[in-house]
Amino acid sequence: MNIKNIGELGRFSGMAVVIALFFALHISIGAKAIPLADVFTALIARDDTIFDHIVVWDLRMPRAVIAIVVGAALAVSGALMQGITRNPLADPGLLGLLAGASFAVVVAFGIWGSAIVPIMPLVAAGGALAATGLVLWIATAAPGGARPLTLILAGAAISAFLGAVIAAVQLLDQENFDQLRVWLTGTISGHRMSYMGWCLPWLAVGFVAAFAMARQITSLAMGDDVAVGLGVNVVQVKIVSLIAVVTLTASAVTLSGPLGFIGLVIPHVVRLFVGTDYRFMVPYSALVGAAYLLFVDIIARVALAPVEISTGLVTSLLGAPFFVWLVRAKL
Amino acid sequence: MKPDLIVRSPSQSLALRLPTRALWALFGVLVALVAIVGLSLMMGSYPLSASKVLHILWQQPSDETGTTIVWEFRFPRALVSIMVGALLGLSGATLQNVTRNPLADPSLVGVSQGAGFAVVALTILMPELGYHYRPLFAFGGALLVAVLIQVLTTGRTGSATMRFILTGVGVAAFISAGTSALLTYGDIDRAMAALGWLAGSVHASNWQDVWLTTSCLVILLPALMWASRPMAAMRMGPEAATGLGVRVAFARFGLITLSVTLAAFAVAAVGPLGFVGLVAPHVTRRLTHSGVGLHLLITAGVGGLLVAVADLFGRTAFAPIQIPAGLVTAMIGVPIFVWLIVRQQAQSEL
Repeated sequence: MNIKNIGELGRFSGMAVVIALFFALHISIGAKAIPLADVFTALIARDDTIFDHIVVWDLRMPRAVIAIVVGAALAVSGALMQGITRNPLADPGLLGLLAGASFAVVVAFGIWGSAIVPIMPLVAAGGALAATGLVLWIATAAPGGARPLTLILAGAAISAFLGAVIAAVQLLDQENFDQLRVWLTGTISGHRMSYMGWCLPWLAVGFVAAFAMARQITSLAMGDDVAVGLGVNVVQVKIVSLIAVVTLTASAVTLSGPLGFIGLVIPHVVRLFVGTDYRFMVPYSALVGAAYLLFVDIIARVALAPVEISTGLVTSLLGAPFFVWLVRAKL
Repeated sequence: MKPDLIVRSPSQSLALRLPTRALWALFGVLVALVAIVGLSLMMGSYPLSASKVLHILWQQPSDETGTTIVWEFRFPRALVSIMVGALLGLSGATLQNVTRNPLADPSLVGVSQGAGFAVVALTILMPELGYHYRPLFAFGGALLVAVLIQVLTTGRTGSATMRFILTGVGVAAFISAGTSALLTYGDIDRAMAALGWLAGSVHASNWQDVWLTTSCLVILLPALMWASRPMAAMRMGPEAATGLGVRVAFARFGLITLSVTLAAFAVAAVGPLGFVGLVAPHVTRRLTHSGVGLHLLITAGVGGLLVAVADLFGRTAFAPIQIPAGLVTAMIGVPIFVWLIVRQQAQSEL
């Protein structure tokens, strides 16, 4: 092992420590503050006779785990989208994937009720895929092709349309959709832990595909022609990456509802530190995304305590100014 | 092709050329407006025949319930829809001309959201101030956003138009999140009141809203007509406008303020209605070609028609459930928006 690898190892484990720290903080902070020491005791030796331990294991930890998984999934899918489309403004939310996934879930829920829970990631994936297809089709049909502006406008249009339809469907069938209303603003909640089992296979597919494609995406960033010259099967890379993006986004939406701007912010931050090599971009995006969402979720719970803000609102409040800055700096 | 109608002042020093076809279009839109008001008065959960509506409007005593429904509910509602549509249409047309951007719309670039945020803040944080401050707050919020976007987009090289819209999209997302956060923070009753207003619904309209929107239109329409000359020059770009004797910076500031005011009053009355300001000017352009002044008049009519139809559809299609007009306009507006992205971009400088 040479020195560079050791440095890399240090950086990687440093990031892991940050996540562990946020994880512990996330569990410790809340309506009833639990001292960090108690959190560690509870995690190491669970004792059901102590009330705090039950709070940690049954309420707080599931929420923290979901935050980690969703943050990593959205950040990686954002990184892949930015790499494949060579578009610094690509993000599952901005390009309509989150709206498509939410829309599909709402419609399926309206027709079949809670029977769809086991296939919810699949339904969400279908919606996300359809929305992506539509956005890409509109953007490429526009004169000048799929540039950042056309992609974002098409994404905004599809999101606005689906949002209006969702709102109308909710009005038509109020009782059925009351439970979806909070979910639709993007909320992380421990109750959703029961969905984790249904999402795990899809998450696994998504992450494996993302890691497998990382090397080829780096060459894609130099342009399709260069990538072909370097022996990359461009079509295959794009299809596999699309599968990764869609499954990761769909699982994230199933677990926490639509959380905007994570896929936009994290890859840019990561790129500052690790450069454009996607073999580093993908894993670091996952780590930083997980840490970021833990952090955001802490803010959402303490900012206006005792009231909780939806996590999705906080990601938008933090991410939208970043988006504006990107537009100003990069375009 | 019929000759254009030309109006001259007695001394022949001033003349106004009006294309006949555009005048017919204006006439047709006005007729359609009257028709839609009639339909709105007749249709609903308590259907009324045309003759009955006429009786009620002419104050001939007939049935008590019908009179209440027409005068207290349906008539102000139809009028407010039309006025709000006209305001938004004019706002969008002005914004599109000034920014030379066919995709500009008060609800896309955050102006409506700014007004919405200010009104929600008023409703939730300062409920004692009441209804009369709504237009003021809406105007303040909208203007602040307009200034913010201008500041954020100037001073950099590159395509200004593209950055204007993208910045607007980002600002709109930020403000919407802020508004939602405000809703979760606030008292539940007030939050529900604010929420109903935010969906962009005209269902609670009363005569107060009618007077508010009508007086705004009556005051600002002449101002817009007066401003249509510099606006026509601005459409050709800042260089050409300067050459034609327009003080570009001043005109730009004035016109954007005008556009923001129009949108703010509409939002203050019924909440943010999406895509009306985008769609109305383009539909008008499809209908007929004319000078800027006449185009603005027809746009106002088309905008009013759009919202009135959206509201009528929203409240009758799935009765007894009412779909807010804002959702219907979004569903109509988005396909047109997409079509605009695909078709018209080549002609603009995007």
